[in-house]
Amino acid sequence: MKTTRRTLFAATLAAGALVAGFTPASAETKITFYYPVAVGGPVTKIVDGMVAGFEKEHPDVKVEAVYAGSYQDTIAKILTAVKGGAAPNVAVALSTDMFTLIDEDAIVPFDEVAGKDAKAWFAGFYPSFMANSQTGGKTWGIPFQRSTVVMYWNKAAFKEAGLDPEKVPATWAEMREAAKKLTKRDASGNVERWGIEIPSSGFPYWLFQGFTTENGAILMNEEGTKVAFDTPAVVDALQYWIDLSVKDKVHPAGIVEWGTTPKDFLEGKTAMMWQTTGNLTNVRKNAKFDFGVAMLPAEKRRGSPTGGGNFYLFKGQSAEQQKAVVEFVKWMTTPERTAEWSIATGYVATQPAAWATDKMKAYVADFPQAAVARDQLEHAVAELSTHDNQRVAKAFNDNLQAALTGSKTAAQAMKDAQAEADRILKSYR
Amino acid sequence: MSLERPSPFAAVLETALAWALGALWLAPLLYAVWTAFHPPDFATRFDLFAPLTLDNFRRAWEAAPFARYFLNTVAIVAIVVFAQIVLGTLAAFALARFTFRGRDLVFALILLQLMIAPEILAVANYRTMRAIGAVDTIWGIVLPYLTSAFGIFLLRQTFRTVPQDLEDAARIEGCGTLGVLWRVYVPAARAVYLAYGLVQASWHWNNFLWPLIITNSVETRPLTVGLSVFASVDQGIDWSVITAATLMTSGPLLVAFLVFQRRFVQSFASAGLR
Repeated sequence: MKTTRRTLFAATLAAGALVAGFTPASAETKITFYYPVAVGGPVTKIVDGMVAGFEKEHPDVKVEAVYAGSYQDTIAKILTAVKGGAAPNVAVALSTDMFTLIDEDAIVPFDEVAGKDAKAWFAGFYPSFMANSQTGGKTWGIPFQRSTVVMYWNKAAFKEAGLDPEKVPATWAEMREAAKKLTKRDASGNVERWGIEIPSSGFPYWLFQGFTTENGAILMNEEGTKVAFDTPAVVDALQYWIDLSVKDKVHPAGIVEWGTTPKDFLEGKTAMMWQTTGNLTNVRKNAKFDFGVAMLPAEKRRGSPTGGGNFYLFKGQSAEQQKAVVEFVKWMTTPERTAEWSIATGYVATQPAAWATDKMKAYVADFPQAAVARDQLEHAVAELSTHDNQRVAKAFNDNLQAALTGSKTAAQAMKDAQAEADRILKSYR
Repeated sequence: MSLERPSPFAAVLETALAWALGALWLAPLLYAVWTAFHPPDFATRFDLFAPLTLDNFRRAWEAAPFARYFLNTVAIVAIVVFAQIVLGTLAAFALARFTFRGRDLVFALILLQLMIAPEILAVANYRTMRAIGAVDTIWGIVLPYLTSAFGIFLLRQTFRTVPQDLEDAARIEGCGTLGVLWRVYVPAARAVYLAYGLVQASWHWNNFLWPLIITNSVETRPLTVGLSVFASVDQGIDWSVITAATLMTSGPLLVAFLVFQRRFVQSFASAGLR
C-alpha cells in the first residue's frame, strides 16, 4: 500500500514535470481593475493605453480595466461587487474612502504583499499624500490621481484694478483687500466682476478645509474616530468665508457652483478663484489673459487639503493575483509614468522622483504654475476622512451650506455638525 | 370638458400659463442647442453671429464608443418595454377579471413592491445575477426589470373600467379568453399602453446606476454610462461637449416623443369619446 502510494506520487511528479516542460512556464493571471474618471477628456483612453503597456511588458498578466463612473459611482459599484462576492482585485477610489473600505472588510494593506522593499516604496511618495493612505501603522492605499486646492488669479484684472499683477495675496487680510479692489460694479450697482469665488456646492468641506488648516485647526484624528468641527478656530474660519460675501460683498452670496467657477474665471466674471489643481490644463488651454497660480493665503499658517484617488488592494484573491496587483500598481506609479500621467491629466505627481524626471522638468520649465501644487504639499494636510465618511461629510457639508446661505450662524452650524458627527462616530470609539 | 364658454380673461391666462410652462421646459433645451453648435468661447455668451461648429459633437463622439452604446440602449429599452407590457397585461387581466384564491393577497404584495426603491435591491440582484452567470450581459441589466408592479397596477385599474357588457358581447361572438383580452381589453387600454410605454422607455433610456454596477465591458454598457465620462468633478465642466453629448444621446428619444406626441393626444381624445 505504502509503496503503491509512493510510486503513484513519483509518477505524478514525473508527469507533472513532463507537462510543465511542454506548456508555457506559467498560466495567465487575470486581474480586474475598477477606475473612476473625474477629469474631462478621454481619460479612459489614457488608462486603457497604460494598461495595454503593462500587459505588453507582463505577458503572463491579463488586466481587465473597467471604467466605473464618477468617484461616487465607483464606490457604489465596488461595495455592491464586494457584497455580491465578486470584488475587483484592484481599484482606484477616493483616498477618503479608506475607512469605509476597511470597515466593510473589503481591502488588505499593501505592506505584507509588497514584500521587503515595501517600506522604500511607500517612502517614495509625498508624506501629505500618504497621510490619507495609512492608518494604524498599515498602508492601505497607494496615491495615484491626487490633487490639492490652489488659488488662481487673473493678472489682467489685477493690473486693471491698480494692483501689482505679479504680487498675489499671501494672507487672509491681503486677499480681502485685493478682492475689494478687484470687485467691479456697473453704474446701477450690479456686479460685473467678483473679487473672488470659492465654490461651495457638492463638497464645500474640501474648500473649507483650506480655511480651517490656515487658521490652525485640524478637523479629525488619524484613527478617523473623532472630529473637531466646533472649535473657535473652525468657527472663525467659517465666519471669514461668510463675511467675504455678506460684509465685504466681494464674493457671490449663497452657494457658488463648483463646476462653473472655472468658466466664471475664464470669462473674467471673477478675478480670483480657489480650485483644484486638476483645472490647470483646462485654465491654461482656455484663458485669454495672463493668469497665475498660487498657494492658498495664510492666516496662522499656510495650508490646503489634498484630494483625489488611491489604489486599493482587495480581499479574497489568490496569492498570484495579489502579486500581479502589486506589480501592476508599482508599474503604474513609477516616476516616469507618474510624470506622464500628471502632464496628461493635470493631477499632482505623487513622488519627488517623478518631478526629477526629464519630462517633468521640461513641463515645469514651460509651465511653472504646475509646480505650485508641489511646493504647497509641505503645508498640505489629509482630506477629511473618518469612519462612515459619507455620512459625517454630509453632516458637515449641510451645515456649512446652511451657514453660507444665512439660515444658521457659523457657531450654530458647526455645533450642529459636531453633534451629528459625534452621534455617527460613537460606535467606532 | 365643461360646456360653459370660458371668460376671455381665463382664456388669456390659460394661454399665458401654457406658454410660460412651455418656455420653462424649452429653455434648457434651447441652451443645449446653442452651446452644442458653437465653440466653447460662446458657451455663456450670446452672439447671434457666433461661428457655427460641429466640433463639439466630434469630440463627444470620440470620447466613448457611442455607436455600441446606442445599440445596447436600444436593445435594453426594447426588451424591457416589450416584456413589461406582455407580462403586465397578462397579470393585470388575471387580477382584474378572474376570481381565484389569494387574488387580493397577490395584488397586495404587488402593491407593496411599489414602495421598495430599486437601489436597495442592488446587492441582492447582483448576487442573483452572479449565481446565474449574468454579470456583464445585457440580460443582467434587463432581468430585474422585466416586470413592473406599477405597470400591473395601472393596467389592472384600466381593465376594470372596461364594461362587462363588452366582454360578454365578444364571448357571444365566439371569443375565447385570450381573444377577449386581445380584442376587447387591449384596444380599450391603448392610451394607457402608449403613456406607460413612453414613461418606461424614457426611464430605462436614462437608467444609470444598475447598468453601471452589473456591467464591465463596452459591449454591454448603455449610453448613460458613456455619457458619465463627461461628468468631471476634478475639473471644470466643459458645457459645449456635455451639451453636444446630451443632445446626441437624448436626440432619438426626443424625436420619438415628438412623433408620438400627436398619437398620444389623439388616443387620449378617442379614449375620452367612449
